Amino acid sequence: MEKEQPEQSNRRDFLLRFGAFGALILAFGGFARHLLVYFTPKKQVVKTHKYLVAKVDEIPLGKAKEITIHGKPVFVVHLENGFKVFSGVCTHLGCIVKWEENNDRFYCPCHKGIFDRTGQVVGGPPPRALDEFKVAIDKNLVFIEVTDKMKGPWT
Amino acid sequence: MKIWIKERFPIDYAKFIEITEKIFIKEPIPLHMKKWVLAMGTTPFILFPIQILTGILLAFYFIPSPEMAHESVRYITEEVRLGFWVRGFHHWGANLMIISIFLHMMRVFFTQSFRKPRELNWILGFTLLGLVMTISFTGYSLTYSQVSYWATTVGTNMMAEMPLIGNFLLELLRGGPDVTANTLTRFYTLHVWLLPLAITLLIVLHILILRLHGVSEPEGFKKGYYAFYPSHFHKIIIVTLFLLSFISLLSVALPPGIGEPADPLTTPLHIKPEWYFFPIFLFLKWVPLNIGLLIIGLAIMGIVFWPFLEPLLAKKEKHRTILNFIIGAVTIITLITFTLIQTYTH
Amino acid sequence: MEQIKIQQWLIGIFSVLLIVTLMIVATFEVKKTMKYAAEIDVDKSTAQCINCHEIEHIAVTQIAAWEKSEHAVMGIGCLECHSAEADDFDAQRCPESDVLIARHPTPKDCAECHEDQVNEFANSKHAHQFWLLKNADRSILEMPIGTKHGCEQCHNITTIWPDGSVGECDVCHAKHSFSMEVARQPETCGECHMGPDHPHIEIYNESKHGNIFKALGGDWDMGYNTTKNEPIPIEAPVCVTCHMDGNEKQPMTHNVSARLATESQATWSYRTVWDEENLGSWEVKRDRMESICMSCHAPDFVETYLLTADLVNLQYNEMRRTFVYWTKKLTAAGIIDRLEADGKFFSNPVLNGWDEVPEKMMYYSWHHEGRRFRHGAEMMGADFTQWHGIWELQHNLVEMITWAAEHGDKEAHKWVNNNHPSKFVPFALYDIPGNAWGISTMVNTTPFVYSYEDYWDRVKSNVETAYNNGVLSEDQWELWMKRYENLDHYLGVKYKDNPEVKEAWNMYKERDAIDTKAFIKEAVNLKLPGKPFGAK
Repeated sequence: MEKEQPEQSNRRDFLLRFGAFGALILAFGGFARHLLVYFTPKKQVVKTHKYLVAKVDEIPLGKAKEITIHGKPVFVVHLENGFKVFSGVCTHLGCIVKWEENNDRFYCPCHKGIFDRTGQVVGGPPPRALDEFKVAIDKNLVFIEVTDKMKGPWT
Repeated sequence: MKIWIKERFPIDYAKFIEITEKIFIKEPIPLHMKKWVLAMGTTPFILFPIQILTGILLAFYFIPSPEMAHESVRYITEEVRLGFWVRGFHHWGANLMIISIFLHMMRVFFTQSFRKPRELNWILGFTLLGLVMTISFTGYSLTYSQVSYWATTVGTNMMAEMPLIGNFLLELLRGGPDVTANTLTRFYTLHVWLLPLAITLLIVLHILILRLHGVSEPEGFKKGYYAFYPSHFHKIIIVTLFLLSFISLLSVALPPGIGEPADPLTTPLHIKPEWYFFPIFLFLKWVPLNIGLLIIGLAIMGIVFWPFLEPLLAKKEKHRTILNFIIGAVTIITLITFTLIQTYTH
Repeated sequence: MEQIKIQQWLIGIFSVLLIVTLMIVATFEVKKTMKYAAEIDVDKSTAQCINCHEIEHIAVTQIAAWEKSEHAVMGIGCLECHSAEADDFDAQRCPESDVLIARHPTPKDCAECHEDQVNEFANSKHAHQFWLLKNADRSILEMPIGTKHGCEQCHNITTIWPDGSVGECDVCHAKHSFSMEVARQPETCGECHMGPDHPHIEIYNESKHGNIFKALGGDWDMGYNTTKNEPIPIEAPVCVTCHMDGNEKQPMTHNVSARLATESQATWSYRTVWDEENLGSWEVKRDRMESICMSCHAPDFVETYLLTADLVNLQYNEMRRTFVYWTKKLTAAGIIDRLEADGKFFSNPVLNGWDEVPEKMMYYSWHHEGRRFRHGAEMMGADFTQWHGIWELQHNLVEMITWAAEHGDKEAHKWVNNNHPSKFVPFALYDIPGNAWGISTMVNTTPFVYSYEDYWDRVKSNVETAYNNGVLSEDQWELWMKRYENLDHYLGVKYKDNPEVKEAWNMYKERDAIDTKAFIKEAVNLKLPGKPFGAK
């Protein structure tokens, strides 16, 4: 077996070794970084489109209308100062809230979360108000902004 | 800290280090392996873990169903950050693995390292080549594009030519008479689970046998050994770095396409398998299917059992060497010619 | 030991190479084959309609068309347009479901969202009732059953619905995809604007505009939005580009009358007075059109081209005057007569019935040839201005006067016997020195009327009179005068004697002489020996 004698380490040797292995570590670091990035989804520039949810004269003041968008319930509420459109998904743990017209409130049956008709939490565990859609009113028509989706199951 | 670990793992550390040193650090490497061409076997050994790693990454996004397979491949390639790179790695890694196994085989054959007592390792190595080609075939099928779908259909149909058990094997592989969702999940299981496991085990066995015999030493080199570390270890790092850069560049320069989604109702005008099946593909276009498969089967058997056939065909050492060179050269020239013809006639 | 050092160098080099490669990888972008798009979410009531229609198999392809529409994306489902009150004129209950629906959504329904467009349309001549107001005389030739799927099919674009709204939006915006591409397709306009009386689609196809659209239009995105005061995104215009689309300066409009300065479809050409309170004078309308033209053309070209077209319209009036003169004269002399019913004249005097040749000539010279002459000149349809236009008009005039001579009119008889070429110009002339395309050096040598020394003075006085009567604008008069003052330049006379021009002209003259010789030898003077066939 050929024995490899440790050479007297001078400065040049040290620099070479340091440089080579520094570069090696950087290279594998970069590689690992690329692999990690693979797991974080890319942020998409998503476009939106207008979606008709109600006609102004169809919902009396203070009343709500339930519709379905992408399989999830959405509530259109006619308030004194315009319209608000809420997602029907409770902000607590994702159950579906109910509009109780005689109580003038949204009620979540899972943990008794209560929202008023402006979507604010008035009781129970929900941490924040109901999610809102951006509303645009064009004459007699109430539109909301809905995000475009890619064909297929990815969003 | 050290003590804490030692308490939990009461091993004789001195002995452990000694064994590791003996097996890895100070592994005696013959001097001829300083020549790069004579150390080709390392390349597939480096590529295989890369395939495992990128394969696991791809499995995070890939969905093996007829509706989703092609779409999820597209999603990985186009939408996932650096997805094209990971997929490019897997794609080009597979191709390079086959190339490097071929080169390794050529080296073994022409240095006649398959001879007694290493015949079994030759057979083992050839089995590994077969498994790698199978895993490539199943992987190619998983992309579920038009070409891969029809390559799968045609490729699996050949199974039916096998006497007695052909049809059974075909249905077993396809999970029914046609290429369907069942085929996809079966191929997926094979590709990500059964075949990698088999390959891993065989690689371990391959290297174990290698280590037991030591690397065969061809004639005409200075006798002598050097330690695995640092010289050979550095070599592996250099090869690894080169492969990582090279495959990364390939995945940028020639990113793997996604093709048209599979359509079981229309066969595309020109179907072809991956390039490493070109010789077989072309041969089967020229001769009737069953005869062709029989000839190919016999040829493969010939190669597999060549270490045992060779002493039967030639007695003298000198004659054997000449025979080997002739057989090797003819095989390689035939394979290259067939591949080239198939490449340039379409 | 050297070897270890080399290996260290190699490790360093390959590490750097890998880092560089990874940087390249990080910046690489894969071309995308799929885009984000608005997803259709079918609401409950629409889903109910679709379900039933599919089961009953009624108008199912309309569902597919709707699914492709922008309406579907925006949640405009069936009942948004097809909802009805029980007492609506078109209320109907779906037989299977008892849902109350409106059979015929009208512009009133469209106006719920597209109010401006519906109003603009209703204030355009597209919505005008002219065909009913001035139709009585012609309806006698066309039986009602023939008009249902005949003239009414096109003219229903002016329908006044029981709810008072006017028009049919889906005439152009084909339901239920309401595709912009379909609405912009020239053939959509050509569904009605075609045929002998107003061959607009044929004129468009003949024009350079139409040709470029045919050749390259397949690659254009015809669904472009034109409401944002942005440049016109296509290389050559389709019909609606000039008549409706907006550009940087002009807003998009559904009022096709907003840019038209001449009533060139009427019996007489006159400047438009349609809805002047809102649309402004003809000059304002002309400015709108020119603004669109100038998206692609230079002002000088646009103005010269349109002035020439205007003069064609004025020339038509002078020819019309001649037809009216002869018709009135023949009527007064009792040679031709008007239709009468219940002791009253039935027909408009200028239409006058169709049972005698002068009457037919009179009608066609307005309704067919007269329009082709004018519209061809306005929309680059040279062949329609020429052979289908002025040539036919002159032919009709000769026919009419010849018929008058045969039926005893002395003046007509004298005209027939007159052999001077000027007999074909029994009316005043308009003209413009040169043309919009460039300078043509030899064209001026041909027209007979150019041999009159006072030709351009006569023309000038006519044009000036038109200008003084407000039929031409001041800018147009100045443009005309600029050309008149440089007559020799614009007529090309100035360059006629240039050696280069002479050389080119003489070469063609020589070749023509060779041609003439050839046909005289090969055809005219060829005598065959075999006798012609007569009785045996």
